[in-house]
Amino acid sequence: MLMVDSRKLTPISEFEQPGKFRRLLRFVWQCWKLNLAGAMEFRMSFFLTAGMMIINNVVWIVFWGLYFGRFPVLNGWELQDVMMLWAVAAGGFGVMATFFGNAMRISNLIATGQLDIYLTQPKPVLLHVLISRMSVSAIGDVLFALLIYVTFGDKSMIGFLKFGLALLLSTLIFLFFTVIVNCPAFWLGSSDGLSFQLYNGLLTFTTYPTSIFRGLGKIVLFTVLPAGFISYLPIGLLRQVDIPFISGAIAVTGLLCLGGMYLFYTGLRRYASGNMMGLRR
Amino acid sequence: MNNWRKSVKYVFIGKITLRNQLAYVADFLIRSLFLLLILYIFLQLWQATFHGEGTESIGGFSFKQIMWYLVITESMILACPSLCTRVEEEVKSGDIVFKFVRPVSFVAFHYVEYMSEAAMRFLVNAAIGGLLGLLIIGPPDFGYGLLWLPVVALCGFTVNFMLNMVLALSSFWVEETRGLEFVYNKFLFTIGGMLMPLELFPDVLQQVGRWLPFQAIVYIPAKTTVTFDAVQLPRMICTQLIWVVIIGIIVSLVYRKGVKKLNVNGG
Repeated sequence: MLMVDSRKLTPISEFEQPGKFRRLLRFVWQCWKLNLAGAMEFRMSFFLTAGMMIINNVVWIVFWGLYFGRFPVLNGWELQDVMMLWAVAAGGFGVMATFFGNAMRISNLIATGQLDIYLTQPKPVLLHVLISRMSVSAIGDVLFALLIYVTFGDKSMIGFLKFGLALLLSTLIFLFFTVIVNCPAFWLGSSDGLSFQLYNGLLTFTTYPTSIFRGLGKIVLFTVLPAGFISYLPIGLLRQVDIPFISGAIAVTGLLCLGGMYLFYTGLRRYASGNMMGLRR
Repeated sequence: MNNWRKSVKYVFIGKITLRNQLAYVADFLIRSLFLLLILYIFLQLWQATFHGEGTESIGGFSFKQIMWYLVITESMILACPSLCTRVEEEVKSGDIVFKFVRPVSFVAFHYVEYMSEAAMRFLVNAAIGGLLGLLIIGPPDFGYGLLWLPVVALCGFTVNFMLNMVLALSSFWVEETRGLEFVYNKFLFTIGGMLMPLELFPDVLQQVGRWLPFQAIVYIPAKTTVTFDAVQLPRMICTQLIWVVIIGIIVSLVYRKGVKKLNVNGG
């Protein structure tokens, strides 16, 4: 028989509850836990999907392994740099899609009026939207990134910290770039196609060494599609700390975060509710 | 005469599929943006590689030949429809029952549909990729290779169809086959020579690749077109035909066994 254990339920009243920030953290933590529990409901499917993503990434590692077996240096990049590039790019994407898996669906939520559910809840709308879904395959990307880091990365304390920073920057760039490309839906209605092309462009460009691009291609990588700030991390942060690049990367990440939030909340004022009925506790 | 009449219906199936596809030309063009993106990245990669190596030729391929090789392989791969998705959905929804009662062979029906769609998409991809090639890489030196491309591409698509059909027919037992298709495609990308010609692989891997059917799908068509060699041509086409026959036999065996095993829900 299905029973509700009232001791485990969080009271709705805020009386005798921790502070606002700690309540928010607890809320985020609970959302993530529930997302994972939902994914684990179909355990076999979960392991298969995550495993498939690892195989997908391994194919690219094999490609680069074969490539560097034949041509050991590519404009200053070596095999280890490309491996770390994959660790940072797949890891950043994986963390983004695992913990903030709804990012890519924002334009669809806006166009179909499904933001209503989030607007009725006393939690920050953007945060709530982002954390309410998890991409199962992305867990495979995170595991893959950790595997590559353990195999090819610098495992000293400083190396670990640098990898952590690279992963953080990469995650935030992926996340807020995705938020930004999804926001035009507030003004244009359905803009799934445009958002998907830009998002796909960023994903594709981040997995190739920055050094192969010249001229206009390079300018695009450091402006329209900020992929260059992710793909140069193995050289500009992990191999040696290139202060101008790192400062630029941190500044761009900050700008994207602020820009993403500003764009979302500005667009939200234009949001017209749909007529969908939905419940969310 | 009777056989000829029977085959006319397949021509009509092909014609209808082509018409359906023509309705989505705009959709093709948008999807082809990804082809352009990939080709642009590989252009930059191989430009840097040739520059770094300081040689005119790598593994018997010039820069121009490698780029045109990639235009063909990528255009072919992006032209292939997902057979597993199609058959899997037919099995899951029960629609497959209607396919069995029609006076058309199940495998032949899918073959005609698959080939018409692949041919249409390949033409669009090749036109777009070719245009990028002409503008950025310069005109290719295919010689007679271009004349043989339709033949070797047809054989390549047929081998791909056969292998995909084996995977798709597994849905008669397991229902979920998209995972198998995913892994299969990854083999095609690497050992199948989609990402780079087999000549650039280490010797051992080259030998392994030459004993597998994956080379018949995109490697042989692209290699034959880009570095045409009249002496090698019969061997290349024979390799493709041998695989068509071998995998064709496997398809018919799997199909016969699978039909007996199939349990249809709903319908």
